[in-house]
Amino acid sequence: MSETITAAPGIETAAAGVRQMSMQQALNRALDEILAENPKSVIFGEDCGRLGGVFRITDGLQAKHGEARVFDTPLAESGILGMSVGLAMAGFHPIPEVQFDGFAYPAINQIVCQIARMNYRSRGTLPMPITLRVPSFGGIRAPEHHGESLEALFAHVPGLKVVSPSTPHDAYHLLKYAASRPDPVIFMEPKSRYWQKGPVDVTNPLPGTAAHDGDADNSGSLTGARVAREGRHLTLVAWGAMVSRCLQVAELAAEDGIDVEVLDLRWLKPIDAEALATSVGKTRRAVVVHEAPLTSGLGAEVAQLITQSCFATLKAPVERVTGFDVPYPSGDLEDEYIPNIDRILFGIQRVLEYRRG
Amino acid sequence: MAEISFPLPDLGEGLIEATVLDWLVEPGQQVERNQAIVELETTKSALELPSPQAGKVVRIHGAPGDTINVGEPLIVFEVPDDTAGIVGTVPKDEAPKRRVRLSAVLDED
Repeated sequence: MSETITAAPGIETAAAGVRQMSMQQALNRALDEILAENPKSVIFGEDCGRLGGVFRITDGLQAKHGEARVFDTPLAESGILGMSVGLAMAGFHPIPEVQFDGFAYPAINQIVCQIARMNYRSRGTLPMPITLRVPSFGGIRAPEHHGESLEALFAHVPGLKVVSPSTPHDAYHLLKYAASRPDPVIFMEPKSRYWQKGPVDVTNPLPGTAAHDGDADNSGSLTGARVAREGRHLTLVAWGAMVSRCLQVAELAAEDGIDVEVLDLRWLKPIDAEALATSVGKTRRAVVVHEAPLTSGLGAEVAQLITQSCFATLKAPVERVTGFDVPYPSGDLEDEYIPNIDRILFGIQRVLEYRRG
Repeated sequence: MAEISFPLPDLGEGLIEATVLDWLVEPGQQVERNQAIVELETTKSALELPSPQAGKVVRIHGAPGDTINVGEPLIVFEVPDDTAGIVGTVPKDEAPKRRVRLSAVLDED
């Protein structure tokens, strides 16, 4: 018995090209289009084929594009990423998946020692156009190893690019953009946001604007950070699943008369230092929020970039509101670990009440 | 919709079976994760088994007094396709709650 399963189509809305979709559906559509547009692209991982992925991101793709393009692998992440190296050397554009972020650890050797440096090692003759999809971060009360926040680890490796979308719209465009790059990209999908719906404009990466001059498809808007909410008094810097929480915090802060800007960093390597300078140059106060532990987290990098560009005008040191310096806990302790609204508000208060001298 | 079967786990160290004392849920009922679903007795103890996941109960295996082997089906759930097979639970959209209020004198120099 063969059963064809496809993701439910998004609901058409009035604006041309804009559909309401979940991040699941947006990613599924992006992968479907990548397979159709690039005959060298292949998708594989644990349960990616017949089942369509444990999060249904590859749902229906094997039935549509065939078992040679979308297939299951053994439970061996080192094999999944090792095979990606060979496929890339042979001219393919692999889009592997590690089923959960914690399962990336067994493949660190392949990612760090091979994928990240093959282009460098071969003097550019063996590029690695690999997009590694990693369902990331916590928020779904999963067991150990099923929720991590590995962005600092990946960002520290020369040769890797790291990106994390926070909305269905960005998920669609950033995945297509990542898959079109000649370099390896770690694509961190915020798994707690998979089911949330939002408008996706498939025709324009930057909704509400015309394409930039000389940039017909507006893809230039995909390489940097995104202002998710404009504000005057303080900038919250976040990425992935923390962006929606920071937007909630911004609404609550507004009740107290504090106008918060939310900067969705999107790219975690390279980081959009110009966007940080522009935003914090205006607000003069910044709090960076992430799920990963504090020490050597990406918040330190962000704080330094802000300090570098805004030192003279900063009203207070950049605050960090992060997970604790403990292993990312399993589901029952998530609420205690992941920065919640009150912890972020406390961080904002610390910045607001800081006085020099 | 998709069906997920949950087999009887080893409830101790090296136990091979358990006896159903009483079912606390019935087919058609919606259960939450960690909700007690069945009372079982093993050679070591009697206990309430928490549900491994949320979902609608489709079938239960074993009447009170029946013995079930470890690894055999205990209960079958029905879940929406977009949640079937995931490890963990789909987060609910909750209204933001706060306890911390902000207070600041902003000098707009």
